[in-house]
Amino acid sequence: MTEQATIPADTPASRGAGEQFPAFESPFLRAPEAARTVFLVTFGAACCPMVAGIVLFGWRAALVAGVAICGCALIERVYYFVSRTPALLGRSHAYLTGILLALTLPAHVPWYVPLVAAAFAIIVGKGVFGGVGHFIWQPALVGRLAVAVLFPVVIASPAPDMPGTGPVLARNHLLTGDVRDYTYAPDLRDWASRAAPPHADALLVRRPSATLKDLSDPGHATFSALAERGAESSSHRPLAVMHLPPLNDMIVGARPGGIGETCIVVIVVAGLYLVYRNYVRLALPLTMIAAAGAVAAVAPIYLVGSRDELVTEFLPLTAEGLDVGLVYVAYQLLSGGLFLAAFFLATEMTSRPVTAGGQAIFAATAGALAMVLKLYFNTPIPAYMAVLAANTMSPAIDRFWRPRVLGQKHFAFLRRRRNKTGG
Amino acid sequence: MAIRRYGTFAGGIDLPDEKQATISRQIEPASIDGPLRVPLAWGHLPAARATVEPGQHVARQQMIAHAESGDSVDVFTPVAGTVSGLVCVDVAAGDRMRSCPAVEIVPDEQAFPPDAGAESFDWRAAGAAAVRQRLREGALVTFARGPDPLARWLARGRAKGCDTLIANCMENQPFVTAEHRMLADLAERVASGLAILAKALGVAQTVLAVDQRRTGDYQDILAPARTYDISRVSLHHKYPTGAEAILVKLLTRREMPPGGTVMDVGVATTGAATCLAVHNWVACGIRAVGRVVTVSGARATRPGNYWSPFGASCASLVGRADQPVIHNGPMVGVRCTDQTVVTPSTDAVLAVASVVPASPSPCIRCSWCTDHCPARLNVAELNDAFELSDLSLARRLTAQACVECGVCTYVCPARLPLSQRVKQLKRVLCGLDRDLPLFAGSRA
Repeated sequence: MTEQATIPADTPASRGAGEQFPAFESPFLRAPEAARTVFLVTFGAACCPMVAGIVLFGWRAALVAGVAICGCALIERVYYFVSRTPALLGRSHAYLTGILLALTLPAHVPWYVPLVAAAFAIIVGKGVFGGVGHFIWQPALVGRLAVAVLFPVVIASPAPDMPGTGPVLARNHLLTGDVRDYTYAPDLRDWASRAAPPHADALLVRRPSATLKDLSDPGHATFSALAERGAESSSHRPLAVMHLPPLNDMIVGARPGGIGETCIVVIVVAGLYLVYRNYVRLALPLTMIAAAGAVAAVAPIYLVGSRDELVTEFLPLTAEGLDVGLVYVAYQLLSGGLFLAAFFLATEMTSRPVTAGGQAIFAATAGALAMVLKLYFNTPIPAYMAVLAANTMSPAIDRFWRPRVLGQKHFAFLRRRRNKTGG
Repeated sequence: MAIRRYGTFAGGIDLPDEKQATISRQIEPASIDGPLRVPLAWGHLPAARATVEPGQHVARQQMIAHAESGDSVDVFTPVAGTVSGLVCVDVAAGDRMRSCPAVEIVPDEQAFPPDAGAESFDWRAAGAAAVRQRLREGALVTFARGPDPLARWLARGRAKGCDTLIANCMENQPFVTAEHRMLADLAERVASGLAILAKALGVAQTVLAVDQRRTGDYQDILAPARTYDISRVSLHHKYPTGAEAILVKLLTRREMPPGGTVMDVGVATTGAATCLAVHNWVACGIRAVGRVVTVSGARATRPGNYWSPFGASCASLVGRADQPVIHNGPMVGVRCTDQTVVTPSTDAVLAVASVVPASPSPCIRCSWCTDHCPARLNVAELNDAFELSDLSLARRLTAQACVECGVCTYVCPARLPLSQRVKQLKRVLCGLDRDLPLFAGSRA
């Protein structure tokens, strides 16, 4: 401990050192929660979407999770023995990193993908910065980004010739099925209405986010309207909303995607438990989702007009009435990993700002950026990349966003400092 | 009477109460074994000069040390006995212990609290100047964590133009019940002492702030409070409502400037113990030679509220020499040494099971310290400033506003000694500011 070293030589605190000796530390009471408890409870909360993912994506999801968690723990231990970084001594944070990493990966990936991701998460995301409490970027997302760059095709779809699709277990093969044993079901809309054929466990369907991407890509304008009202054109599919799974499928998670990112209802319940435990400030996920929704509501989309010309629809929220607009915004929010990012990944303590206002700025940035990336950039993991980008900003936010301290003047940080106390 | 609502403050925390052992025990005299070692200085004050010789016999309330300047006060003996020599003891000074000289007295009798007796000085009829003169003769100190001569406190309060006097009886630290018992058992005298202080200070309004859960026990204070025009306010139990700066902010909406005192915003605060001592001296002519101390804690053999003479050993009060003993409450207290004795700042002596020094781990930036800080400090950044020895960052974050409540250390899941570190930064910053000659005159 360097307590004495920080005191300049000639101050009252050091001058009195002859007759005053430092006391044992008060307060003598400590709250029961330790850092380890925080990590383990968060791990437990993350198990809920993992269980939902195992139900929806079968035993391969459990395999991915097992490889990711064991890989993180093992690699962290090996890295500790090499580097002797003291902050890597505990195992609880490795488990947490592993399960968060597994939640973001799809279930159909081969075994080496979670292992490589775990290596990147532990070594690049955490180890080189000095371990728990020192990293800048959420380690699980560092690992996820690395495999998204290294194995783009393997992760995108089990069928390399059909990008934009993904498997989900049919309702008669939940929990025990194999997602790689799929059959292509291009016309499937309502997941609950169809059982798998005898020779397959899973249905390969188009991702909702890939369908929505057609709306914001001017080179690929496919739809003539968001909903039923513009059904006059014959050469294009008229009803964007009618080509997506029903909203209740989106909420219970019967759609292709990462293991933990599809089952919105479980994510929200587990996230609210973290809020109840005071590990997460509710404003952070809410602001992030609200910012993403606001961007989706106003960001222009491209439709095909009646004479095959490109129609730019500014303000999609009200373009075809508020009811259609809200459904469109809901689809944009529910598809992809935005909810998982908002409740579990952006709320990671070390890589988010500390103050309430700083967290709001952070979350608004991450949410808006996630939606912009999802709409206009060709990235497989827009929400996670937005969280990583916002993580980059969080030290700066911490430095510049300062709430008013007791006794300080309002907007003291804007005023010219007239004396050394800053008052 | 119109209901007046008071706001709350951001941060703070509901602590476990732990007061059951002593909350309903009336004040009784402590039985002290062995000699008393009466210190010649309280807190940070300079020591007075002893006026007694070893072997000399002293009577009860006889002066044993004479103050040589206005910074210290005369010391009187609590019991009749024989002086056996000059020794060295430890007294609490803020959050540290300090060793100072003491007169060791072998008592002839058991020390007992002063009886109320008849009032010998009619302070109600006397003018404010006469009351102040009487207070000056009493050689009293404020019974706060950092004791201060009462005469100096009064002069400062009058110089700062204080218009409000707040008796801070919140006592929301766990275990501590001394002020609660003073208000419940000796309400009349506390109210009278508060009125005397108000008269001497010349304030416009006097407020008695108590915990809202204890108001039922304080019925006795209603009549005298009405007589002396003291407004009673009950506030929420949340810790640290009793911190001076927070209490003043809640009651008057004035915020103490960072690094200043509450007198800078025209408010003086006192406590029940000071009021009691003031009443005893001004009205009855009894010197302040002891105070009510809560003895509690998991390992205390006889928990209770005891009147203890100054100079009694804290370890002997608890009755357990083998356990760690904490002086003052568990949130802001100091761990006692074997030589620690009761002084005006001792409101509780706690015997705890064991003080396990938690091994700190790196900050995980959970933000709980920042969320719970009553002064809204960014404690996580201040911890960075401490670890980097970055004083200018600490100054920009206004570390001087820390109210030293200890909540940040209490909640820290990484077990970092945050409040120690912030206090250290605060001390250095305030010390630097005072030491710089360029600004030496500008703070007055």
